[in-house]
Amino acid sequence: MEPFDDIAIIGWSVSPMVRKTDKTEAQLLLEVISGAVDDAGITRHEVDFTCAGSCDYVAGQAFSFVQNIDAVGAWPPKSDSHVEMDGAWALYEAFLRLQLGDADIALAMGSGRSSTADPSIIYPMEMDPYYLAPLGADAASFAALQARALIDGGQVTERQMAEIAARTRRDAKNNPHAQVTGDFDVDQLLAEEYLRAPLRRHDLPPITDGAVAVVIATRAKALELCERPVWISGLSHCSELHYPGMRDLRTSASTTSAAKAAGIENGPVEVAELQSAFTHEEPLLVEALGLSPDVSVNPSGGPLAANPIMATGLVRVTEAARQIRDEGKHRTLAHSSSGPCLQQNLVCILEESA
Amino acid sequence: MSTQPCAIVGIGQTQHKSRRWDVSLGGLVREAASRALEDANMDWKDIDAVVLGKAPDLFEGVMKPELYLTDALGAKGKPMFRVHTAGSVGGTTGIVAASHIESGRHKRVLAVAYQKQSEGNAQFALGSGKGASIGAGGAFAPYMRSYIHRSGAPADIGPMVAVKDRRNAFKNPYAHLKIEGISIESVKASPMMWDPVHFLESCPSSDGACAVVVTDQAGGEAAAKAGRPPAWILGTAMRSEPSQFPGRDPVRPQAAADCAADVYKQAGITRPLDDIDCAELYVPFSWYEPMWLEGHNIAALGEGWKMVERGDTEIGGAFPVNMSGGVLSSNPIGASGLLRFAEAALQVRGMAGEHQVEGAKVALAQAYGAAAQYFSMWVVGSSLNPLG
Amino acid sequence: MPQFTESTIAFPYKRSLGPVIGAFMTALTEMRIIGIRSDERVIVPPLEWDPDTGVELAHDFVDVGPAGTVVGWCWVSAPTVQHPLDHPFAFGLIKLDGADTALVHAIDVAGIEAMTTGMRVVPRWKAARKGHITDIEAFVPGESPAVPAGDTGGATEPVTMMEYDASITYTTPVPTNVIRAEEATEEGRFLGLKCPECGRLYTGGRSFCPIDTLELSPSDEVDLPQVGTVTNYTIITPVQYAGQTETERFGRVHVLLDGVDVVLQYQALIDYPVDQIHIGIRVSAVWASAGEDDSDNAAGVANLIGWMPNGEPDNEDPELVDRIN
Repeated sequence: MEPFDDIAIIGWSVSPMVRKTDKTEAQLLLEVISGAVDDAGITRHEVDFTCAGSCDYVAGQAFSFVQNIDAVGAWPPKSDSHVEMDGAWALYEAFLRLQLGDADIALAMGSGRSSTADPSIIYPMEMDPYYLAPLGADAASFAALQARALIDGGQVTERQMAEIAARTRRDAKNNPHAQVTGDFDVDQLLAEEYLRAPLRRHDLPPITDGAVAVVIATRAKALELCERPVWISGLSHCSELHYPGMRDLRTSASTTSAAKAAGIENGPVEVAELQSAFTHEEPLLVEALGLSPDVSVNPSGGPLAANPIMATGLVRVTEAARQIRDEGKHRTLAHSSSGPCLQQNLVCILEESA
Repeated sequence: MSTQPCAIVGIGQTQHKSRRWDVSLGGLVREAASRALEDANMDWKDIDAVVLGKAPDLFEGVMKPELYLTDALGAKGKPMFRVHTAGSVGGTTGIVAASHIESGRHKRVLAVAYQKQSEGNAQFALGSGKGASIGAGGAFAPYMRSYIHRSGAPADIGPMVAVKDRRNAFKNPYAHLKIEGISIESVKASPMMWDPVHFLESCPSSDGACAVVVTDQAGGEAAAKAGRPPAWILGTAMRSEPSQFPGRDPVRPQAAADCAADVYKQAGITRPLDDIDCAELYVPFSWYEPMWLEGHNIAALGEGWKMVERGDTEIGGAFPVNMSGGVLSSNPIGASGLLRFAEAALQVRGMAGEHQVEGAKVALAQAYGAAAQYFSMWVVGSSLNPLG
Repeated sequence: MPQFTESTIAFPYKRSLGPVIGAFMTALTEMRIIGIRSDERVIVPPLEWDPDTGVELAHDFVDVGPAGTVVGWCWVSAPTVQHPLDHPFAFGLIKLDGADTALVHAIDVAGIEAMTTGMRVVPRWKAARKGHITDIEAFVPGESPAVPAGDTGGATEPVTMMEYDASITYTTPVPTNVIRAEEATEEGRFLGLKCPECGRLYTGGRSFCPIDTLELSPSDEVDLPQVGTVTNYTIITPVQYAGQTETERFGRVHVLLDGVDVVLQYQALIDYPVDQIHIGIRVSAVWASAGEDDSDNAAGVANLIGWMPNGEPDNEDPELVDRIN
């Protein structure tokens, strides 16, 4: 389905990515919102619609997003919404909103202080409340089950996983917004103990606190305000069934669907920023997206270098946008995910020209 | 607002009760969703996107429940979305679903909102697990006290609203509270909960869900031809303002006025009292009926309570409010906003049964949340141009 | 110097199971595992709707197992408090005989070397079963499950509910301005922060002005008066819930500080009968003494325990009630 209007990213800001911030979520958002509107050359007052992505159980408080409205500058009151999902889905809501013709500029944001509590204690709460949560079945365990399925299916080896771990952290050295960077020796990595066999520590993302904000605009506004708008030529998402034992964990059908709906077949993609928080997810997603081997994957380092949960996906969008605006690329892809074993997937395709 | 009209062609809700212990969480949402599909004469495979809304996950202790609810909502292979804007979330769910259609990107969207409060404890959840939670009533008591002072409203106005809404509830088969023999006297005799609000002037804690199917112009027209008249969305609006700052008026919030002005403009409403036939407003404590009548500029300042006193807001009155029994009769918090939006749609479709306002062509729905700082509203009509 | 506070969100949730999950849990008490039929497939654990099509399933239950094949596994070397076992174990995807989908559960073996994809396992049942996924303590290698010693038998009535205890402990940073406000109280000062742009005054060590979205810094600090007037109030009759600290009715008051445009909301009123709380009472701030734990304070201001009537005559201004902010 064709969008009514071309929507472009005209500015963004990513917070420092750290293991444990001493700032509140609202403070993090204040900074990135200011940064994003500055980057776009506008003020908060010119933003017609705002949408935030964050999660009460990650923040440790009911209605946690209410404090965050303070960072938006909602006075006079703003047309504003919130999703209990990654900021990439907040972008989706803002993207839809701008199609309606009466708003020109929107701000999407994601905030995640993942250092708040032990993820292995929080994440069982998002699983089936009867069959899975009471087992304390956590995200890393599910990821490990998927990794095992891929290894048993010959789609990836532990060595390849370690290579991805090393490559992403090495690439992340060039990224001022990365948390875990450095040169790691693959053999040394493989000599480490398992955390959740077949996953070792390097196969897991770090715990990261961070936030991100993105400004989007309709065509006329984007061309007026921005020298190099980055056009969103496709933005779609798709869900799979929940219970991992009922799915084929060796494929990511919803990623393929979302990519197709986003128009991946309309042209080659040069860079892909994927929310592959676990190393084995990268080859799985690359396959599901049908990416050719010359596509550069996660040159930012990806979530393995910084994983501010609830913001990670939207950060991927900014990285894919940066490749076009600042690195001369023409067509890039960003991906976000939610749920055990990549249950829900979102694909965003960005282009240099509308 | 946009050039792609949106029609509501299916509405469903659960039997709201304090404890729906006969169903799982999935079963609760499914009951509403399958009723909405049936009303829309659609099957699960006809839906191409799902929007889920609910208030804090601390109520049920299930984080990001859209993941587990994928199966219950037939959402495999489809985009699924979860919104959360505090008490206004039910309304936001409807609005976000509508934007899926209005943007031209989807054709048939299922919106579902729910809360299964019996699994946890509302006061616990509202206070994030800390002791001495003051709850919603405790937080709003100062606002209501201020309204009573500013408006000079007599003390019986609150009880009058409570009686009206509970009597209306007898005309709504889905409503939670059915209080036989409720009267102004029995309301005033009931224990004081949060001065000035008595127990019988406060909303219940309910398990419940509401679902709505929205579609595009072609879908709406097809439904009309098939003898299932849709409700047409004439306008939607959302507004948020910060919780607390010197100069903020939480009794008559700016966001409430701005949200209403926006939605009226979209719908071509210039005189709300005359142009709108009836309203479903989020009234969890009795005094909020006159407060929102004024806050959304339906009644002039200080005139809201007079509308109540005159009986204007009864089903047969000049401006019926909460014909369904409202939040005072059923309050599964996450669903309550969508229930308001759905009930408004039922009215203009002529499908509100015993609580139907005769000849309703234009209806207003509103939901609010947190410190009366989040607002979502929509106006629906029996046609795309009911005001001529 | 960054500071952090800890808070725990814990609650014993009580879930109703509905007819399908209820049947599964009841069967567990009888040491049976059931799936539900959907066309040609048997889905385990049983769902109420076909996961692929969303169609409601008839309650056509099928006994599966008792043995099954491990089709996938991972090794948990350091179990969490929520895990079903407190020593290293495997989480497995177990395709029970007769099932078309795999059940997720724990597998208890001596070490990772004992795990292979394709191994055969059976449930090790708990002796006392209540209708919970952990009635199966774990799966173990084998073809025939043992009857546990002290087996108390199946449920006498269908299981319809389950409990879920959730407890998560969070650490949250204490903003710098809050720390400074707290330190100032030790000098007897009540700090406010004045926005350099709009001039509004904020309390509680607020980090920034939400109107101008401007960070508030030490140069914006002002001293606030520690005396004011009750403008509005709320009286709460406490409901009991896990974590509740109150048993008696209690009040919370709004306090307008003298001479400044500052209202503190939902403050504790100390040493004053709840039934007599009214607008206009003149009050003075009460601070925690050194070392006193004020972590439960309602004030939202560090070390501020609440407000105590100071004996001055009431302020009779009828417009006070509108001062909520």
